[in-house]
Amino acid sequence: MTLELSRLRKSYGQFDFGPVDLTVDDEVLAVLGPSGSGKTTLLSLVAGIAVPDAGSMRLDGRELVGLPLEDRRVGMVFQEGALFPHMTARENIEYAARDGDRVGSLATLLELDGVLERKPATLSGGERQRVALARTLATDPDALLLDEPLSSLDAPIRKRLRDELYRLFESLDIPVLYVTHDQRTATALGDRLAIVRDGGIEQVGPPSTVITRPTSRFVARFTGTENVFDGTVTDRPSTGATVSVGDVRLQTTVSDVPASAVTVCIHPSRITVEAPDEADENRPANAVTGTVARWLNEGSEYRIDVECDAGSITLTTNVRPPTFERLALANGTELSVLIPRESIHLIPEHE
Amino acid sequence: MAVGSNTERSGTVTVGFDWLSVALVLGGVLLLYYVVPLVSLFLSVPAGDILAQITNPTVVDAATTSLLSASVSTVIATLFGLPLAYWLARTDGAVMKGVLAVVILPLVLPPTVGGIVLLTVFGPGSPLGEAAVAAGFPLTRSLAGVVLAQTFVASPFVVVTAKAAFESVDQTLEYASRSLGEGRLTTARRVTLPLAGPGILAGVTLAFARAIGEFGATMMMAYYPRTMPVQIWVAFIELGLDNAYPVAILLVGIAVAALAVLNTVASNPWE
Repeated sequence: MTLELSRLRKSYGQFDFGPVDLTVDDEVLAVLGPSGSGKTTLLSLVAGIAVPDAGSMRLDGRELVGLPLEDRRVGMVFQEGALFPHMTARENIEYAARDGDRVGSLATLLELDGVLERKPATLSGGERQRVALARTLATDPDALLLDEPLSSLDAPIRKRLRDELYRLFESLDIPVLYVTHDQRTATALGDRLAIVRDGGIEQVGPPSTVITRPTSRFVARFTGTENVFDGTVTDRPSTGATVSVGDVRLQTTVSDVPASAVTVCIHPSRITVEAPDEADENRPANAVTGTVARWLNEGSEYRIDVECDAGSITLTTNVRPPTFERLALANGTELSVLIPRESIHLIPEHE
Repeated sequence: MAVGSNTERSGTVTVGFDWLSVALVLGGVLLLYYVVPLVSLFLSVPAGDILAQITNPTVVDAATTSLLSASVSTVIATLFGLPLAYWLARTDGAVMKGVLAVVILPLVLPPTVGGIVLLTVFGPGSPLGEAAVAAGFPLTRSLAGVVLAQTFVASPFVVVTAKAAFESVDQTLEYASRSLGEGRLTTARRVTLPLAGPGILAGVTLAFARAIGEFGATMMMAYYPRTMPVQIWVAFIELGLDNAYPVAILLVGIAVAALAVLNTVASNPWE
């Protein structure tokens, strides 16, 4: 089954959505973007809640534009679940189910057997979302849309439900559009990632590509690349260009750089730190010396900012607690920062 | 005590009004003003007399006319009012505001003026009134006239109260129902109406209570057949206050029943 959006447009007063072209096969497309970027508009258009000004949407060859919600066979899981408050969990699922056996099998699949006779108000946030999901799946939709279903949940429940969703999506053979503003959820669940900004799609691709090869500063920043600098390509041999950022010169593996003005992106997770005397001169990585300017305990990791080469650039990286303790990191600690050549991504600046 | 000394937390002693007591006294006086006349009404007539007079044919006729006409008016108001209330609840903008103002107009218009404007359309001198008389279905001095007057005055209660009830139903629930493959009608029947039900019932009850008590517009449109409020007026003018009591007590009973409905199955819009 394939969902194809072409030249889809919608205007609300000041806000213009589209034109958007997007094809979603039997896969999970995680739609990631800041609030107000048009993620929910995209879902509303596909679901039939909003009417597009122009463009077409085809699902399995059927044109959706002009069809009322009830005839689209597009399942939607709403942000807070949108369960019918006057019905029990079972009645909610039965409302949608075409046959009775489906309720039982979905309840088992989503571990709802114990709560079927309860009203939504007495369910926990996680249970509510699972009921909402069961209710939507009970219609056997041709496409599934999810609007930030995990955003209102506490962290541990969110993580658990995210793992359950991952397994569930594996078993579905329909296009799934999963809208979120949380990068971790998006990369964990998405077969592909679509980054939305100002009503348009900025970049689409597999999560690893979008994260390591962003096509714009916005995508880089939004997918967690905190190290974004203005750079100048100084040398471009076939083995990889050299780029200078402030006084720091970095070797890359990029061989085809059209412009000399570039944006230099280095994802924090690709950078490692070592004590200055541990650094091995022969490693194929850029080694820069610096001192810890700030650090923050984020729970499972420490986030540290290292001022390099007398403050000409500040690199942010994450360090696991054993490393943090081994290096006895504190403000002012001297470090050697290693930036693998292949981890440096260059975006040509458009003049 | 309205005036007294007051020791505040800081320990300083101030002399001044105790506003809570003032409010209690003012509110209490108002409550007494509501309750005392009602109690006095029941004390004015011996219980035996009430029973005897309530079975009097004129009283029975008036009660029958009132209950019948108010029921019909309420059904009409609900039938015509609910779709409008739903539209008002789901629409925004200047058009909605204008329509809402028109709906509220009969509420703020003096009932006798309402009667006059209705007479200009349905009265015997108007083309419509003439045609109706010719067809043997007069729109004034008839049960139809009573219903027209009551519907004009009472139907805004259904629309305004049901509008609030529909607004309290999250539209996402309707979208959810439809995205599950159910059409607008099923969605209305199984999701919107059950959730808005108590509020709608409140509006229906208020409209019925208003219709039962309607006097001004009814007097203009249909002096006959007499409804209970008209009967009270006639009894008072022709036979004196004592003769107006039984019907008044009946109407108090209906008002109390309406209150009971509002506070049990319906959702009281003023709570």
